[in-house]
Amino acid sequence: MAESNSLQNIAAIIYITPENSKISVKNDFLQLELTAPNEEGNIETKTYDRIFLHRAFPFDHPYSYISVLDKDSKEIGMISNVDIFDEDTSLKLRAELDRKYYAPVIKKINSVKERYGFSYWNVDTDAGPISFTLHDTYRSMLKVEHVRIFITDIDSNRYEIPNVEELDHKSYKKIELYL
Amino acid sequence: MQDRQTLTSRLCALDKSISPNQVLLPFEFHLLPDDSYTLVDGIAAALDDRIVVFQNGEKIKDIPFSDISEVNFRVGVGCVFIEYTMDGFDFILCRSDMREKDIFAAAAKEINRKINGDKINYQYEENLNRVCPHCGRPYPPGSSVCAHCAKKTGYLLRLWEVAKPYRAMIFFSIILYFVIAALNLITPYINRILVDDYIKYNYTDQNAVPPELTSFLLVILSMVVVNVVIRLISMLRGITLIKAGNRLVVRLREMVFNKIQTLSISKISSRTAGELMNRVTDDTNTLQQFITREMGNILEQVLIFAAVSILLFAYDWRLALLILLPMPFVVIAHRLFWKFMHRMYHKQWTMNAQANTILHDIFSGIRVVKAFGMEKREMERYDEVTLAECKTAVRNETFFGKVFPIINFFMGIGEFFLLYYVGNHILEGTMTLGEMTQFSSYVSIIYGPLRWIANLPRRLVRVMTSIVKIYDILDEKVDVADKESAVDIKIEGYIDIEDASFGYDNTTDVLKHVTAHIKPGEMVGIVGKSGVGKSTLINLVMRLYDVNDGCIKIDGIDIRDISQSSLRSQIGVVLQETFLFSGTIFDNIAYAKPDATLDEVITAAKIAGAHQFIIKLPDAYNTKVGERGHTLSGGERQRVAIARALLHNPRILILDEATASLDTETEKQIQDAIQKLIADRTTLAIAHRLSTLRNATKIIVLDKGTVAEVGSHEELMLKKGIYYGLVMAQRQMSKMSPKNSDIA
Repeated sequence: MAESNSLQNIAAIIYITPENSKISVKNDFLQLELTAPNEEGNIETKTYDRIFLHRAFPFDHPYSYISVLDKDSKEIGMISNVDIFDEDTSLKLRAELDRKYYAPVIKKINSVKERYGFSYWNVDTDAGPISFTLHDTYRSMLKVEHVRIFITDIDSNRYEIPNVEELDHKSYKKIELYL
Repeated sequence: MQDRQTLTSRLCALDKSISPNQVLLPFEFHLLPDDSYTLVDGIAAALDDRIVVFQNGEKIKDIPFSDISEVNFRVGVGCVFIEYTMDGFDFILCRSDMREKDIFAAAAKEINRKINGDKINYQYEENLNRVCPHCGRPYPPGSSVCAHCAKKTGYLLRLWEVAKPYRAMIFFSIILYFVIAALNLITPYINRILVDDYIKYNYTDQNAVPPELTSFLLVILSMVVVNVVIRLISMLRGITLIKAGNRLVVRLREMVFNKIQTLSISKISSRTAGELMNRVTDDTNTLQQFITREMGNILEQVLIFAAVSILLFAYDWRLALLILLPMPFVVIAHRLFWKFMHRMYHKQWTMNAQANTILHDIFSGIRVVKAFGMEKREMERYDEVTLAECKTAVRNETFFGKVFPIINFFMGIGEFFLLYYVGNHILEGTMTLGEMTQFSSYVSIIYGPLRWIANLPRRLVRVMTSIVKIYDILDEKVDVADKESAVDIKIEGYIDIEDASFGYDNTTDVLKHVTAHIKPGEMVGIVGKSGVGKSTLINLVMRLYDVNDGCIKIDGIDIRDISQSSLRSQIGVVLQETFLFSGTIFDNIAYAKPDATLDEVITAAKIAGAHQFIIKLPDAYNTKVGERGHTLSGGERQRVAIARALLHNPRILILDEATASLDTETEKQIQDAIQKLIADRTTLAIAHRLSTLRNATKIIVLDKGTVAEVGSHEELMLKKGIYYGLVMAQRQMSKMSPKNSDIA
């Protein structure tokens, strides 16, 4: 039991769960029906025609701690983990998230050429072969964990290397300098 | 990214019923509207009456404008969307990766204009982050020059143009290079005479004629003379070249700096301050280094190389080949070695940078570290990275220590072959000892610059990059430029904003169809939520940006027809972010009127309420402020800034949250003083604290980028609209202090 003046009592996270909500597809987007206390503290059921999902920890927990926002970007509540919902809903939530967060996974690095402060990459990804450009290579590569890299190109496209050590030797050699 | 024409013809080929002049705004997209990863070949377009979307050649959407109420651009993470609203519900029109973000944003904005009955404004095409049509590589941010395809020789010629006043000096030093190269070749020749005629002279041979001591001394003396002359000429050459190089660079630096000053805020803010600093200092420095040091070296080495080669071939082509043939291999071996070493040292450098970052972090945040008692953890963190760096350094140095001597040995191996060849000739009597000395000198002369030549391409690329970057700035189009017919006017103070729309980028208009009329002597308060466009509006009045649509007139003249210097010299601005330059308080107040008298400065400071605190400082008006100077508090800085704007004696006074950091008491004093001053001037004031606007004759309420309400305080209070709501909310907040609520 939390103390009366603990952080949780001052500002509680509203969790959206299978028990208090119903998530369904409306046209191209997700719709939410939520039964929760309103600002006055009274329980009421509200329908949001369209909800927006945002990852609170996009690198660490892509499918947990999902913030659910309304049209005016006001947070309605959070989903602790999409898998607490039934399989169908969970898939819908995942699809909505995957649609918003686009980051092809780099499988193989064919070439990296550095010139004039830019580097030109040619890679194979799970979305097919892609060529992209980085400005300031070193700073464009975000090391999330020891071996996990997120690359942001000049247009702010993102690419992920889940484990640099699992890249083939030739690919690894090409980016070793920037790690 | 394909241009409008290509896309239009592709579209018309896909659907024969579409004629090219129907296609208003075509664009590409690369992703499916669902969560799949695959890239697709998509093309969408706004036609004259509807939107069509084709995906891999199939038409998937065809929606008449009459069905759509609104189109929206939305940014995901790593992808972008265009959505449309139909019967109150949202749908996805198309989705793409970030390559198309600019065109998506522009398309959404322009399609909305079309839906609302306006025309499509094709200006958006200028702002697209386009790719080089030659190589397909994207342009660097904020630039429109492709560093790869830019014609290098063209730049060198232009640099030569800039160097016009110093050409004579440069030619002179080039001649000196020739002289030095020639003199350098004489020394080995004298050496040969010395050895053959004197040292090798067989003193035991009775028949030989003994050399004269005076001629021997003469030979020695000539060596000394040649040496001294070489040094003297080198000195002269160095001085000439440094003079020419420095002057050229100073001229170039001035050009870059002046150019940056003429660029509009929007062009400038597309580059960071650091980047601009680099252009002005680093890039010109690289060029300076190149001209004063490296260019000379290149010339010298090439000359010597050519001369020695000719000499060698003239003497004995076999000998020449023996010396020259291994050279390419040596150069390649050397380059490979350094490339490898470069990788290793780069790693070490990165680690060092990492350690420094941590150190910088800890020192800047030392108060936080200490306050939370985290010293030990920070020490461990630092130890860890320095240890790793140390290990790498040791490994690199060991490797270098082991391998470099071996490389050096192989680099010099040619000399052994030479020794064998020449030795044989001496034994056979076809070559003298002196000749051998002469040629081994030539060999060392020719092998000397090899290391240097191996690095030449890298140096050339570096300096060319700098030149391209410098010209990138110099070639930038001045967007907020004075028209040729721009006039100087004496401002009375009428401001007419007529149907003005403006957006900082293609995404959204910050201000939409704003209209307002202001007369001289009016004090106009501009209120509204944060981000509603209040500061943008005054930026437009100052013409830091040009409106996209509509116009702003001062005294009935479009501000684009007024010269910028005349316009700005009559507008006084106090911004929320008060910036004081390094210098004294006096300098800062007198910034816009350098010839101000002491009386004027003090009076302005008095009106601004700054005099009281300035006079208490030990150095009063001579107090140094800015970086490394006396730190003034936010409120004090604001008062200095107000004094600066007042001294300027402007016809139009703009106060952007100018008194926000002051307590209400001081604010009131300053306001009352300003009130007397502004009797016949026009004042625009932005304030969140509505009590600041107690003296306003008119209040403009901005909401969602447009003018929502206009009127006096009383009128707006009666209206019970947005302004009423704001006043009530603030009254609620400040009911503890009755002083604040006297406006309501």
